[in-house]
Amino acid sequence: MRPFDYFEPATLPEAVSLLERFDGRASILAGGTDLLVEIKERIRLPDHVINIKKVPGLDYLSYDPVDGLKIGSLATLHEVETSPVVIEKYAGLYQAARELGSIQVRNRATVAGNICRASPSADTLPPLIADNATIHTFGPDGERSIPMEKFFTGPGKTVLLDGEILTRINVPSPPPNTGKVYLKLGRRAAMELATVGVAVTLTLDGNECRSVRIVLGAVAPTPMRATDAEDILIGKAISENAIEEASQAAKDQCRPISDVRGSADYRREMVRVLTGRALRMSIEAANEGNSPFDISTDQTVD
Amino acid sequence: MTTSIILETPSPTLGLIPENGLSVVHTSPPRVDGLEKVTGSALYAADYSFPGMLYGKILRSKHAHARIVHIDKSKALALEGVKAVITHADAPKELHAGSPAPRVGQMVADQYVLAEKARYFGDGIAAVAAVSEEILEEALHLIEVEYEPLPAVFDMVEAMKPDAPSIHGTERNLVGPPFIIERGDVEEGFAQAETIFEGHYETGRPVPCYMEPNACVCRWDRGGKLTIWSSTQCAFMVRGILSQVLGIPAHDVRVIVEHMGGGFGAKQDLYQHEFVCAILARETRRPVKMEYSRKESFLGGRSRHPIKITLKQGLGKDGLLTAREVRLVSNTGGYASHGLGITAVGCLDIASLYRCEKNLKIEGISVYTNNPIAGAYRGFGAVQAFFALETQIDEMAVASGVDPLDFRLKNIVGDGDLSPSEHHILGDGLAVCLRRGAEEMGWYERKKMGRNNSSPLKRGWGVGTEMHSSGAYPDIEEQSNAIIRMNEDGTVNLIIGMADLGTGTRTMAAQIAAEVLGISLGEIRVIDGDTDVTPFDIGAYASRTTYVGGGAVLKAANHLKKQLLELASERLECPLEDLSLIEGRVFAKNAPNEGIAVRDLVSGEGGRPPRTLIGQGNNEPTVAYSFGAHFAEVEVDTEIGQIKVLQVIAVHEIGRAINPVAVAGQIEGGIQQGIGHALTEDFIIDKKTGRPLNPSFVDYKMPLALDMPKIKTIILEEFPDPSGPFGAKGIGEDPIIPIGPAIGNAVYEATGVRMRELPITPEKFLKAFAET
Ligand SMILES: Cc1cc2nc3c(=O)[nH]c(=O)nc-3n(C[C@H](O)[C@H](O)[C@H](O)COP(=O)(O)OP(=O)(O)OC[C@H]3O[C@@H](n4cnc5c(N)ncnc54)[C@H](O)[C@@H]3O)c2cc1C
Repeated sequence: MRPFDYFEPATLPEAVSLLERFDGRASILAGGTDLLVEIKERIRLPDHVINIKKVPGLDYLSYDPVDGLKIGSLATLHEVETSPVVIEKYAGLYQAARELGSIQVRNRATVAGNICRASPSADTLPPLIADNATIHTFGPDGERSIPMEKFFTGPGKTVLLDGEILTRINVPSPPPNTGKVYLKLGRRAAMELATVGVAVTLTLDGNECRSVRIVLGAVAPTPMRATDAEDILIGKAISENAIEEASQAAKDQCRPISDVRGSADYRREMVRVLTGRALRMSIEAANEGNSPFDISTDQTVD
Repeated sequence: MTTSIILETPSPTLGLIPENGLSVVHTSPPRVDGLEKVTGSALYAADYSFPGMLYGKILRSKHAHARIVHIDKSKALALEGVKAVITHADAPKELHAGSPAPRVGQMVADQYVLAEKARYFGDGIAAVAAVSEEILEEALHLIEVEYEPLPAVFDMVEAMKPDAPSIHGTERNLVGPPFIIERGDVEEGFAQAETIFEGHYETGRPVPCYMEPNACVCRWDRGGKLTIWSSTQCAFMVRGILSQVLGIPAHDVRVIVEHMGGGFGAKQDLYQHEFVCAILARETRRPVKMEYSRKESFLGGRSRHPIKITLKQGLGKDGLLTAREVRLVSNTGGYASHGLGITAVGCLDIASLYRCEKNLKIEGISVYTNNPIAGAYRGFGAVQAFFALETQIDEMAVASGVDPLDFRLKNIVGDGDLSPSEHHILGDGLAVCLRRGAEEMGWYERKKMGRNNSSPLKRGWGVGTEMHSSGAYPDIEEQSNAIIRMNEDGTVNLIIGMADLGTGTRTMAAQIAAEVLGISLGEIRVIDGDTDVTPFDIGAYASRTTYVGGGAVLKAANHLKKQLLELASERLECPLEDLSLIEGRVFAKNAPNEGIAVRDLVSGEGGRPPRTLIGQGNNEPTVAYSFGAHFAEVEVDTEIGQIKVLQVIAVHEIGRAINPVAVAGQIEGGIQQGIGHALTEDFIIDKKTGRPLNPSFVDYKMPLALDMPKIKTIILEEFPDPSGPFGAKGIGEDPIIPIGPAIGNAVYEATGVRMRELPITPEKFLKAFAET
């Protein structure tokens, strides 16, 4: 691995001033599960690495009914997947966290790191966007808040400015009769990067779809809303026909590429199948008012 | 995943086990080297370090086929800390075959240590030694290579066309002459058939992902002797080929293999780094360590041979096979490695398994292409051949309206029939395995879920069988040796030539010696993996270690026992035939309460000097066959094309399980790899550039713990082989073979879709599903 200088700032302003000083040649280190791999494989060769894990007070995960869920920038995927409130109210995020990498990775990896790496296949992005999350940052010019949907500009690219650090993710509290699902398509039960990811957050009003957000992963340079599909459903009665029409619309709207994980055609077809499945599951969950996943069994080898 | 083991030992012992039974063999004690391994004190090749040691690394070609016009090493040499840069100009101009040197004919010497021409993407073209790994990395980027790209060919059929680019200057890029088997008159056989079946089958390019990437450390001493610590299955082959290429006698090369993290056959080959490391160490006069990254283990490693098989069989009115015609084409990549041997084994295997001795015509061809090297991998040619045969047999059964199990039982080879090596088979092992598995899972009673249910999830069962030789005979004249030395305190040093690549060889060997000598495992210390110390052995492969090597241990221990009894006969003044050795004491028949401790025979008390007794065993058997049948249940998601293996019942007849838990470990591991072959594992090479697209664990997908099915392992000991120790036969390769066709056949039962190409990816499945 190529050598670099290493820093452990004690405060956010100190971290920001280091970033400013090194002007694009420094990388933030959180869990390191993306960054260290990239340095070892010479995808990224920073001269300076700034570890923010010594900054106190960034590892929280809290919830209140008014502000919703707050995920500090050092909260790990393991904290997220074991949080009762996430399991209860943020089922899509829960499922994404639970299927990310392996337990070893989840013990180190942060949600903020997953977001800042901005991989088109990143798992927590679709459910967080479906849940209408907001990202909060701190930088040379102070604080900003950005709707997560607007955060990504391309593979590995975000609207973060030089010197800016992601400090918190805010996810609104779900209204009653909301169902959430994240479905990840991969060949294995663990240690998989999504070939396709589909997140749905859907709220029912009787048999009518009051609101729905459908977000697709790994089928475009950034996670994308399947807005055509959403339009078909919003304000209408739920029907099998509408679900199929919406699934087809999601398929038509996505823009996948072909790679070793799957051809573009396969990905498109899987968007259709998985959008249909995710919609049906989220409708069921919204009706029952609970999470569609069996959370009593842990992911252990028996 | 849950697993369970059933061990079934019927009565026939053929005099292969002692009258009063077995006490150490046939049990599963903790491994003799288990403590070292779990505490992390076991040393692997890359754990060795010496003062002043340098690190080495190979520069790999960025073209699949290119002449190396010029290599400018000046910038790399100028970097501080770089001690040497070598290219083909600095390496010996000696062609070698890369594997078994002294004892085999099927190898082609087509490799240079560093070549003037790259023949696959990743072929090593230069190497660097430097004081740190960080400097090494920078230095590699400073070497400037001028390539002259040559037209390249990746498809094996294209490669045989007259206008294809020539890779080694051989006619039609063939590695050697076709391998042909002809018996009777195949045309006549087809004329007798009521129905003729013909199909094309193809297998992928899985890679043996051994846990320990290749590594070695080389050190020369002042007298010009080389010591190499290497992760190899074949220490004596490494010695032989290094001595040939470096031009030094065998006694000036010492190969040490302490512990290994797997090899699965691939580490039978000498890899480029083993030569390069020795040369760098000689040139810099310092020890050098070279360790492959995982990526290099893909790029410069050895995959399984992708094979295309055209199989045509005739079926008579009576439900018996009338003829079989096979054309098998194997893609060996840029160098021959084991290409010819694998083609030969594939042909011999597909000639057997189902009775068709009269009318048979088989042709096997091994072709060079500009792909990474394919080499030896567990199930050497058998995996591919039996996938084709076992799939078509299923098709024949279905088409003729016969239950696939009944069809197999009717045609499967049994006692007295011809084996792949053209020996007569001993025992009805295949039928026994099939029947036992069917009984365990309730084959005839099983409920077929029905393909027409409305759910996209469909379930079905399938079966696959195999037989496999213990040992590489007739390809190789088999031989193993063991030396066993009793010390003056009655403890034993057991010196074996075999390697323990993580399979438990040491424990197996110690169990056999302990059984014969009536001592405990704790009194035996196994010495292995050092060519200066141990007797010759060709290496750990071909399911041969227990069968051939264990047999040598048995002979050595018996030889030592004879000497002990002779000593005791003098001391007790009792004829040899009246003595017995039990739990470390020799007893005379007429005085069963007295006896003399083995230790007292050798200790040298009472003015006698201590005795060192040495037993020697040389074992040169021909071959024995193990048999197996796997029953697999799958669930297919017909909308997304994914196949999940829900459970496997694995039945293996292996004569005698020296260590049943170790046997079950081999079986479970084979199933894991076999599921990978069938469903997810494929090293994908770009068809235009020859660049590997997934040389890492991110996109090369082995099944992991959560993907594993429930496994029930049934070990049968119905047909012990007189040529194996206590009747034991091999198990190493067997379990990877039948699982693939079992899965394919289960997919058919579940969905009505016949998959003839591995791996069965979701996209391939969906395409076939849409067409049916
Ligand atoms: C074996 C393995 C399996 C994996 N499997 C998955 C998977 O299934 N799904 C998936 O989505 N990902 C997966 N990943 C990728 C990775 O684990 C996740 O993206 C993880 O969430 C990254 O978090 P981290 O804290 O480790 O980030 P780091 O590696 O520390 O950082 C990632 C990037 O974000 C930047 N960064 C981090 N924190 C901040 C911040 N607060 N402000 C600004 N920039 C910041 C860093 O500079 C870096 O560029 C896997 C990785 C590995 C090694």
